Amino acid sequence: MSNLARLTRQTFTIARRDFVATVFTPTFLLFLLAPLMMLAFGTVGGMGAATMAKSGGDKVRIVVLAEGERARTLAATDARLRRIYRERERPPVLIAEKPAGDVAKQARALFDSKAIEASAVLYGPLEKPQILYGPQGDRSADYLAQLAEQGLQVEKIGSTQALSEPTRIAIARSGTTAGGQGQAAFFTVFGLFMVSLLLAGQVVGTMAEERSNKVIEILAAAVPLESVFFGKLIGMFGVALLFLTFWGTVVLNIGAFLPVKLATALGDVGVAVGMPLFVLLFFAYFVMAYMLLGAVFLGIGAQASTQRELQMMSLPITIFQVAMFGFASAAAASPDSWVATAAELFPFSSPFAMAARAANSSELWRHGAALAWQALWVVLTVTIAARLFRRGVLQSGSPRLFRRRRAAVDIPVS
Amino acid sequence: MAVTAKGLVKRFGDRRVVDGVDIAVPKGMIYGVLGPNGAGKTTSLRIVLGIIEPDGGERSVLGNPRPREVSDQVGYLPEERGLYPGMKTVQAIAFMGALRGLDWKTGRKRAVELMEAAGLGHATDQKIRKLSKGMAQLVQLLGSVVHQPDLLVLDEPFSGLDPVNQERLEKLILAERDRGATILFSTHVMAHAERLCDRLTIIAGGKVRFEGTVADARATLPFKAHYVPHFPNDGLPALLPADALREGDGWRFTLPDEGIEALLIKLIEAGYGISGLSIERPSLHDVFVRIVGRDALEQGERTETAA
Repeated sequence: MSNLARLTRQTFTIARRDFVATVFTPTFLLFLLAPLMMLAFGTVGGMGAATMAKSGGDKVRIVVLAEGERARTLAATDARLRRIYRERERPPVLIAEKPAGDVAKQARALFDSKAIEASAVLYGPLEKPQILYGPQGDRSADYLAQLAEQGLQVEKIGSTQALSEPTRIAIARSGTTAGGQGQAAFFTVFGLFMVSLLLAGQVVGTMAEERSNKVIEILAAAVPLESVFFGKLIGMFGVALLFLTFWGTVVLNIGAFLPVKLATALGDVGVAVGMPLFVLLFFAYFVMAYMLLGAVFLGIGAQASTQRELQMMSLPITIFQVAMFGFASAAAASPDSWVATAAELFPFSSPFAMAARAANSSELWRHGAALAWQALWVVLTVTIAARLFRRGVLQSGSPRLFRRRRAAVDIPVS
Repeated sequence: MAVTAKGLVKRFGDRRVVDGVDIAVPKGMIYGVLGPNGAGKTTSLRIVLGIIEPDGGERSVLGNPRPREVSDQVGYLPEERGLYPGMKTVQAIAFMGALRGLDWKTGRKRAVELMEAAGLGHATDQKIRKLSKGMAQLVQLLGSVVHQPDLLVLDEPFSGLDPVNQERLEKLILAERDRGATILFSTHVMAHAERLCDRLTIIAGGKVRFEGTVADARATLPFKAHYVPHFPNDGLPALLPADALREGDGWRFTLPDEGIEALLIKLIEAGYGISGLSIERPSLHDVFVRIVGRDALEQGERTETAA
């Protein structure tokens, strides 16, 4: 059997053990359903926040001090203007109050009223209206100004009827827009970040099991440490794939039930290389992101000798992931900038940034080069992690790599 | 030779844990590496297996200077036992076989056979965490032989086992030798080495102090006599050899070069009579203590305590 075949066989033996040991446990079910719990908690939190916002917003009003025909004109104009806004963006409900005595004083008093919560109040002639507004009422004030303008025009024309009768035709674009590609790039980076955050972090503690059970000595005697590291990465990657397949299927099926309007809105969002190739590239970059970050985390985690050390490591690991996300997001926002080039070259942000590029640009040669570059770094990272482990934990220096520096870095026997 | 090592050196910090160790293990033999705690036995075995690299010297396993390239033909039971607690016994044995190139199906089949032969047939479906320490240790040993290795390296295989399991293990080691495997094992329990080893080496302070057969080792010390007089009185020690030491009712001394007969005649004529007499062959324990020295033993124990 050739060396490569032996290494492959040994690597997959380790991977198989890790995969089985992870998947066939009740804890895996918790892991698999974790996004559901996240979603549930998010929904509950969101509903609570929405209820609070709604209860506060129910009393908010914009007020015009007008009566008679003018009040009716303004109400009709308000009804027409209001249609422009989406539900959540609409201004507060308009009410008309009959002017009485000192209107300036009356308008000011409305802000102290317990019956309503005035956001802005308009009084005086429509040619020169006075508009008062409270905290966060500046947009309401703008709206009232526009309402006065439109109301005055209606009064001058003498009719609230619309003069123009437009015909609206919805057009579906044959391609995607630059803005849509930018959005797709961001979604790509975000998606990769989320899956790598959820999944690559899982490998951090996997070597701890071998260390605490003393199995590492058995493994180290039977297979090269590089195979152990790769095996663990591949085993946990299998777990990650299972997770993605499950949730991918769920999301695809949910997609079929999305409102038509939302599907149309997403029509602009598209990728430069075309969807089939993009899916392939996304998967390839997911593999690389997982392997690269996983190799770093595995290497760091392998140095930990206690659970406490592992927990301490989780913060810098998360910060590192978020930093890569930020770097790649900046690259996605400006694909031709030096930041983008740097993010594409830096090995640990490269998968994210290149996935974003697949959404932004149709050039293909870069992807081949990037995948080769990232694969090289996967091998390098695993090799370095294995050597550090061999030296730090098994107390065995590699003669070729470390011998010259041995006197300076020898580790005392424990 | 199944294993050769020449001038192995390993330093941890400024301490030379292995200091020029030579080992030569002929094929098909049971070879013991004896030494006090902290003597460098485990480190020497780990170097031989390629788990750690030496700072000096060279080694060859099954004719290959790179031990990892022949790891599929080697079985290893480390000093610190390690198994995945969540695995079932048969799976654990098959896994260790798979690491050494045995396919899973054959591994599982052999695991059941081996467990039944070792008296563990009732535990084939049990998880490791449910086993006693002794049973888990046997399971691990079975895992190290499931792929039928040419060389079996066992580091302190008897430690932590009760007498019944120790006997099972001895039988298993002998069965492996009969199958044609070479066995290299370390221990500081002389009784096992005495019963099992075809050849042995004694290491202390990182250096080899003796190499040869058990008989060679015993031949380094003279026979001892234990004499119990029938009518003891104070004048007796003057008739006995100079190294005679009182032990209960009798005396122990080195057997004189010319034999015991002349001394016995003198003792009978002097009226002491003979209540008991035994001639004792020196044990491996005696040889070990003499070669290693009490100081080295104590030093080893100090090192282990400090570590």
